[in-house]
Amino acid sequence: MRLLSTSAGQAWIAAGPKLPATRQRTLLALAALIACFVAIAGQLLRLGLKAEADFHLNIAEPIGQSWSRPDIVDRHGQLLATDVATHSLYADPQLVLDIDEVVEKLTAALAGLDRAEVRRALADRGRRFAWIARGLTPRQAQRVHDLGLPGLAFRTELKRVYPLGALAGHVVGTVNVDNKGLVGLERWLDDMGKVEAVQGTDRSDKPALRLSLDVGVQHAVSEELQAAVARYSATGAAGLVLDLTSGEVLAAASLPGADPARPSDWLELRHADKLMSGTFELGSVFKTLTVAMALEAGVADLNSLYDVRRPLTIGANTITDLHPSGRPLSVREVFLRSSNVGAGLIALDLGADRQRQFLATLGLIEPMRTEAGSIAPPQLPKHWGRIETVTVSYGHGIAVAPLQLAAAMAGVIVGTKVTPTFLAQASPPGTRLVSQATSARIQEILRLNVTSPVGTGRRADAEGYRVGGKTGTAEMPGRGGYQAKAVISSFIGAFPMDAPNYLTLVMLFEPEPVAGIAPGITAGVNAAPTTARIVHRIAPVLGLLPRLIGRAEPTDSQFDAPSVAQ
Amino acid sequence: MLRIINLALMLSMLVGVFALYAIKYDARQLEARVQMQERDLEKLENNLAVLIAERAHLARPKALEPLARNLGLAPIAPRQYLRLDAPPAANAVE
Repeated sequence: MRLLSTSAGQAWIAAGPKLPATRQRTLLALAALIACFVAIAGQLLRLGLKAEADFHLNIAEPIGQSWSRPDIVDRHGQLLATDVATHSLYADPQLVLDIDEVVEKLTAALAGLDRAEVRRALADRGRRFAWIARGLTPRQAQRVHDLGLPGLAFRTELKRVYPLGALAGHVVGTVNVDNKGLVGLERWLDDMGKVEAVQGTDRSDKPALRLSLDVGVQHAVSEELQAAVARYSATGAAGLVLDLTSGEVLAAASLPGADPARPSDWLELRHADKLMSGTFELGSVFKTLTVAMALEAGVADLNSLYDVRRPLTIGANTITDLHPSGRPLSVREVFLRSSNVGAGLIALDLGADRQRQFLATLGLIEPMRTEAGSIAPPQLPKHWGRIETVTVSYGHGIAVAPLQLAAAMAGVIVGTKVTPTFLAQASPPGTRLVSQATSARIQEILRLNVTSPVGTGRRADAEGYRVGGKTGTAEMPGRGGYQAKAVISSFIGAFPMDAPNYLTLVMLFEPEPVAGIAPGITAGVNAAPTTARIVHRIAPVLGLLPRLIGRAEPTDSQFDAPSVAQ
Repeated sequence: MLRIINLALMLSMLVGVFALYAIKYDARQLEARVQMQERDLEKLENNLAVLIAERAHLARPKALEPLARNLGLAPIAPRQYLRLDAPPAANAVE
């Protein structure tokens, strides 16, 4: 041990004389360091003075950011919307050698590419990033890749696809090129913060959004509407199936439809969603609400008589019936024969204020909202006087979105508030709107309107499923007043009527008479049989047992067969 | 003695350096592999998403209905239901 320490001491002492050399080395290292710092300072100074240096800072370039979205599925889990990774072509204009060549070859390889737009994108040499085409198929991407043009490159990014096409397009909505929701439930996903900004193709890990829609029911409704449009030469149609107990919308279709994958559809007015984004005067369907109001207020029962023999004159206006009755009619008959005079007299018994208040209770006065967006606000009479009271009693002078009216009808049928929702969820029971006795009477006359030989809804009777409902035929407002030949015919019904479970709404725009099956253009000969067809088709899907068994299978012509006593 | 210790220390240091480098190299390799597999995974996930979407597209009701009708299938008619636990009379009334 001792030896060791001595030798170490000796070694230390031996190093003594070399001290000046160490100092030299230290100074040398110091000098080198200082030189480095001077060089850095010099470069900084150079960069600072030479403001327009030959480099660009491209931080602000919009490098393809997009949004990842959760899937949308129907109530049974069938896929309605999902994200897939697609190739998007972009250019670095600084690296493009020959703009003309690139434009020529690209437009040849990708059909539908706008020549002028590509040229404009490439012309700005100051940029380092410009989208050329987004959402290419793998084959298209390969074709462009094979051109071997410098300055072009791909990014993979998420693109929303809709496997079912235009089915339920209006409810699902659509997104823009960055995958950001624009309308419908896609917009709702954005508003609820369920989408995430991503670079690249990170798919959303959020659980799928489960809708109340049933793809099977939705398809049946839109197919039958499509057939009805063709059969009655209508210009459009809309249909709705609502679960009366939960308020869930099982099907909501509007024709012509809107395909989420075709942005142009969404800009055209005729493709607009007729159930939610338009208001219509829906005519006699409102008589159901008028009768419910009278029953609830106790001013009349179903047997109270109203003298409808003469037209109703208020000021300068005269209200007449299409088929005037030669005798006073009971409330029940007013409803079955769809007498405007009768409905007007019933409403006058209550007056404008109570009518308005009752409609407000049903939610027809205030604008309504669903997850699929705002619903067109109701258009109400500016001055609610006697004549307005009468016209509103049979559904004129008041225009509401069909979905909103369907919710109000659902309210008087079940007696409690029904709030339509597009999400699969059990909503809590709503507040009571009308007494149980009133809703039972309403159910009774709705069913009677289909079973009675004088009812207007006879052709809505889908064998075995106990349909009830009310027809409405409203002339469409046109230039200089109402057009007698252009009507909106509608049927709002419910089934099975002994314990209403589902509400249906069918609207046909400008239907025409059809020789042999539809003698006129009133709802009884077009909207009503369409409802029967729909119910007949969707009831098995909904798991509903028919009450009637062992009779002949209904044939297609049976729905249109003219019944007794027109 | 000291020299041996120094030598041993030096040697162990060299071994340590080498081992550290080897581990680091391995780690980098593993990282690259992880990245590659993550890329593969993402690619597979994307392919899966495409396939799921395609399946949904092929199974859309608009495509299935003509096929089903072609096979002679149709919505269930009311007369096709029979209540087995009820007397025959119950099966024929509204």
